[in-house]
Amino acid sequence: MSEPSLSRRAFLAATGLAAFAGPSLARSGVAWAAAAAKVGAAAPAFSSVATTGKTVSLADYAGKVVVLEWTNHECPYVKKHYETSNMQAIQKEATGQGVIWLTIISSAPNEQGYVSAGQADELTKTRGAVPTAVLFDPTGVVGKMYGATNTPHMYVIDKAGVLQYAGAIDDKPNTRKSDVPGAQNYVRAALASVAAGQPVKTPVTRAYGCTVKYA
Amino acid sequence: MSRLVTMVLLAAGLAAAPAEAGAAWTGSPRVTVELVSESDAVAPGKTFWIGLRQTIAPGWHTYWINPGDSGEPPQIEWALPAGFSAGDIAWPHPERIRVGPAMSYGYSNEVVLPIPVMAPADLVPGARVTLSGRASWLVCEKECIPEEAPVSLTLAVAAGEPGPHPTGAPLIARARQALPSPSPWPASFTATPEAVTFTVAARGLAPGRIAEVWFYPARWGAIDHAAPQPARIDARGITIEVARGQLPGATSAPIDGVIVITERLDGGAARQAFTVRATPGATAASSAALLQAVVLALAGGLLLNLMPCVLPVLSVKALGLVQHAAGSAAAMRRHGLAYTAGVLLSFAAVAGTLLALRAGGEQIGWGFQLQSPLVVTLLAYLFFAMALALSGVFVIGGRLAGAGQALAARPGYGGSFFTGALAAVAATPCTAPFMGAAVGFAVTQPWATGLLVFEALGLGLALPYLLLTLIPAWRRFLPRPGAWMKRLEELLAFPLYASVAWLVWVLSQQAGPTGVAVALGGLVLIGLAAWLFQASRDASVTWRRAGLIAVAALVVGAVALGPLAGTAPAPAPAQAAGGRDEAFSPRRLAELRAQGRPVFVNVTAAWCITCLVNERVALRSAAVAEAFARKGVVVLKADWTNRDAGITEMLGSFGRSGVPLYLLYPRAVPGRAAGSSPAVLPQILSEGAVIDAVNKI
Repeated sequence: MSEPSLSRRAFLAATGLAAFAGPSLARSGVAWAAAAAKVGAAAPAFSSVATTGKTVSLADYAGKVVVLEWTNHECPYVKKHYETSNMQAIQKEATGQGVIWLTIISSAPNEQGYVSAGQADELTKTRGAVPTAVLFDPTGVVGKMYGATNTPHMYVIDKAGVLQYAGAIDDKPNTRKSDVPGAQNYVRAALASVAAGQPVKTPVTRAYGCTVKYA
Repeated sequence: MSRLVTMVLLAAGLAAAPAEAGAAWTGSPRVTVELVSESDAVAPGKTFWIGLRQTIAPGWHTYWINPGDSGEPPQIEWALPAGFSAGDIAWPHPERIRVGPAMSYGYSNEVVLPIPVMAPADLVPGARVTLSGRASWLVCEKECIPEEAPVSLTLAVAAGEPGPHPTGAPLIARARQALPSPSPWPASFTATPEAVTFTVAARGLAPGRIAEVWFYPARWGAIDHAAPQPARIDARGITIEVARGQLPGATSAPIDGVIVITERLDGGAARQAFTVRATPGATAASSAALLQAVVLALAGGLLLNLMPCVLPVLSVKALGLVQHAAGSAAAMRRHGLAYTAGVLLSFAAVAGTLLALRAGGEQIGWGFQLQSPLVVTLLAYLFFAMALALSGVFVIGGRLAGAGQALAARPGYGGSFFTGALAAVAATPCTAPFMGAAVGFAVTQPWATGLLVFEALGLGLALPYLLLTLIPAWRRFLPRPGAWMKRLEELLAFPLYASVAWLVWVLSQQAGPTGVAVALGGLVLIGLAAWLFQASRDASVTWRRAGLIAVAALVVGAVALGPLAGTAPAPAPAQAAGGRDEAFSPRRLAELRAQGRPVFVNVTAAWCITCLVNERVALRSAAVAEAFARKGVVVLKADWTNRDAGITEMLGSFGRSGVPLYLLYPRAVPGRAAGSSPAVLPQILSEGAVIDAVNKI
């Protein structure tokens, strides 16, 4: 009598309703990632020890645009962007415009990517990287607060301290270096939008890379 | 042989040696890859299946198409001979690999990724073709290593139908069992900023049989991969609530994925994977959407006044108004309100029943009452009686002005209330085709919202009459009473006769010729009762009493016939069911065995997911049907949905306490007792396994 497609749609929707109206399951299952930093909200405050031995806080850079880069120099996806100088190029562009660039290492001791302050500085020097600071997060507290799952995992915070971008460095989720030149770089795009005071067009993407080597 | 070498090397924990000349496998100490083929040769112009087989060292894993929180799915860059083309990988369902706080979706130990390859038609039989390409994949333990290796496979071109490849066919057959099949159940989801709740409308599952349920989304973003997925199984189906993912807007479109259900079977468990497209369900509708639905429903209700089943009722009511245009305004108003109350309460009753039944898991829609042959028959009687009244065959109460006045001028406001209820009842068959959108929205809403929409519909229906009674000035537009009213009434009988004809047609679909005959017999009784009622009115008191008793008897008789219409078997479905799956009974089995027929017994239950999958992938396939037909196998279906004691006993005799159970009785050998035991097929069937077993008898 009624159109089959219609009644089917109604049916589908009704089952959805049933789920909605039914007694809700315990919401204990909300994982840490959901409680983490949220794009569009204030970036959570944190403090970490830098390779210089000084403690660096996000609050130190109030009023400035901040980029967070999770890294693990042994990860093939990180290598892709450093060995092609892709990461260094964005760092130069960004810091040249007064952007604060914080490279964060959340690898736990004895895990891949864990380095001493000296090794970290050496890596910065040999790779020609220009971050504002390299920070250690061996307990993973900062990484988990931001929901960093991958290396590289990128975040852009605007001058007002609002998280404006979270996700991948670009749209080529692989280790092929030949894909770097043609890639759409999300971080560069987000920085341009933030500088222009415009909303970021792609504010959240799926980060790709190696898992962060948390303890 | 080469695979054996690989496994030995892996087992010994040795680094794999560089591929020797001619060896089909390549790779690294972590993953070796090779291409395998399902068929032993290529048939020109046909599609055949090959597989990328990854043998993965313990502790390491490769990835599914959605790798989860990190990782990358395997890829193949093909360099195929001219005319060949390769399709996308058909992804077997993955497993969960937890890495710290993150979740990966992938494979460990071994996986075969099936890939369809289309061969050109112009191949020369006897020639050899080599399919080659570069496979690349990411393999992770704690650390991740991107790897790649050349892969190739050489096959001969077959002159005829190629056979199964001795090593490749079983590997791909096993991979196929892990491929998700289309979900037999619709799925939907609702989302809040914190969580996504999926509902898979798999009704009637047995919760105790389900060991685990996991939804693997096809893409990142909608749900949190690592979050727990507590599942609830009840009358509505499977409900999973999971923390929302990070991608804004991911829940405004359907969410695709694979749901893997682990079902407990006798002495084990089976994992069944289904591809699911969960559509966004209506959450609490926005007020704008609600307003729109209410306005639409109101307009639809107004439109209902013009429907063939409603128009006569309403017109007659309006005619009564014409007759009484000069009456007291207050009384008029009260009539209008009583009528409206009749409409609204009737709509509330029908809508309440509908919403309650749906909440209980019934798959019904608006107009569900018309699915009952009894209701259809009674509605046909009602419309017929109303039509007869309009035709002037009998008159209730009134003397000259006809039934219309009778209904409207009935003392008290009960008559008006009754007319409202009648209009609502008469309207329901007409609402289904016209009111689909508003009603479709209403049934997906919470109780209060749903009822509001239905009541808006009812208010629309009641509105023209209500306004005429509330606003005296409008009554000036009504025509003056006169002889035309009688003619109009007579004319209005015909839409009702047409409605009766339509209802009888509906009945013919539901209850077949018997149902129609019963209903038509009932209509004759109604006609006779109508005539008798009118004829006896002008007779003496004794005759009038006798007449009324006879009328009552006739009406009761007609109504009593109604259920008969309902019990008449619907012809079509019964025929279809009898065609292939004959019902099992021990007697029927013995009978067939005595006749020397081979018999396949399918012991199944509606709530058994593995049974359902087996039926879809194996038992109902054309090739299996062909094999059954070739050997003259009779299929008996033993339905254990309601735990039939006889079937329980049979299960016990095979050491089983549950379904599925598949038995293949060979042709009984003459001279030997018919007790020769059947072959017991595995609980998880494949097309090939059934055909092999059938070929052996």
